Amino acid sequence: MRDYLLPKKGFRVIFVIGKGGVGKTTTSASISVALAEKGYKTLIVSLDPAHNLGDVFMEKLRDKPKKLSENLYASELDMEKLIEGYLKHLEKNLKNMYRYLTVINLEKYFEVLSYSPGIEEYATLEAVREILNEGDQWDIIVFDTPPTGLTLRVLALPRISLIWTDKLIEVRKKILQRRNAVVKIKGEQTYNIDGREYRLPKEEGEDPVMKELLSYRSDVELVEKIITDPEKTSVVAVMNPEMLPLYETERAVESLRKFKIPLNLVVVNKVITLREEIPELRVKMDAQRAVLSEIDKKFRGIEVMKIPMFAEEPRGLEWLRRLGGMVFEGEGTEAP
Amino acid sequence: MQKIRDFLKGFGEAFRDQSTEYIEFELKELENVFALVLMGSFVGIPSPPTTLVLRLMPYMADEIRVMESRAVNLDDVFAQVAGMFDID
Repeated sequence: MRDYLLPKKGFRVIFVIGKGGVGKTTTSASISVALAEKGYKTLIVSLDPAHNLGDVFMEKLRDKPKKLSENLYASELDMEKLIEGYLKHLEKNLKNMYRYLTVINLEKYFEVLSYSPGIEEYATLEAVREILNEGDQWDIIVFDTPPTGLTLRVLALPRISLIWTDKLIEVRKKILQRRNAVVKIKGEQTYNIDGREYRLPKEEGEDPVMKELLSYRSDVELVEKIITDPEKTSVVAVMNPEMLPLYETERAVESLRKFKIPLNLVVVNKVITLREEIPELRVKMDAQRAVLSEIDKKFRGIEVMKIPMFAEEPRGLEWLRRLGGMVFEGEGTEAP
Repeated sequence: MQKIRDFLKGFGEAFRDQSTEYIEFELKELENVFALVLMGSFVGIPSPPTTLVLRLMPYMADEIRVMESRAVNLDDVFAQVAGMFDID
């Protein structure tokens, strides 16, 4: 029994990460099926823009959680729709405030914004935050993530955002202090521009920019606190017994360690066992053997478990149940 | 009588202006830095998280308006700095 997959303090969050095509979706689906059968109210969310969670369950999924069986709910987030909705909301907000700028034609600008670098990561983080915010209605939340690169950046974002926010809060504090000092000596400062009088905020309590900075900070901090808490979050890395997935997993382990996000389990998926030697597969088998012997050395302190390649594609609830049982109770080895 | 009062008032104001000159200069620079960092992507410097910038922008409207008018009235920055440090 793997305790780090079960809820301990409130709800449990499980991120399943890995290189494209190694079996993240199948693994996360089977974990969630196994947990739901144990009686935990489980939500599985696919964050991968190339959705195939629905294919694994053989059900059509949407962004609202859909009940698949007792205690098991699943959803696929539509990133494009998410980004669009997110920008629409901001556009309305901005238009109100910058009415005098209507010449610029904000719509055109916002059309471009949806292609701006990093917007997908931010939208993903925003989606994760919303789900975690209402996490208390679930016992377990499993995230099926996009391929490693994007996921690692999303998981690193809270930390990076906090650094930025803290710096900006610092500068803002200095600005307000100085404004306050000037007002104390010279009296209220007003600026008359084109017949309208402007007064800039000087107290932290009346400054909407400061308020927004602080509210953003607490939003991000919530995510950061959850994903770095080993009692709340577990990351499961999935890989195949091949060199490239091994290297990628190694890098993922390193960066997760840097951001203090707990990685507990490495699942080596599609391990081939042959009853007799097949000459055509010899190169592949040699590579597999090499990787398997490397793994124990590379992932010290992390549990490693192997799942064999099955004769048929593990799809549908029955298969997932079997596979989930293996991930849960199956034998793992932990390098000392 | 009024003249003396005006004179004294001007005298006091000058003192106050002098005392806040440095603070105000620093304040303006800090405001510039803050806005510049927020809109850094326009001029090619790394910018804070897009979400944060977009959430802050609506509230920056007044401030940017004031800065804009300051930029319009800006005459000679070097002379200003030189004057502040008493360089002739």
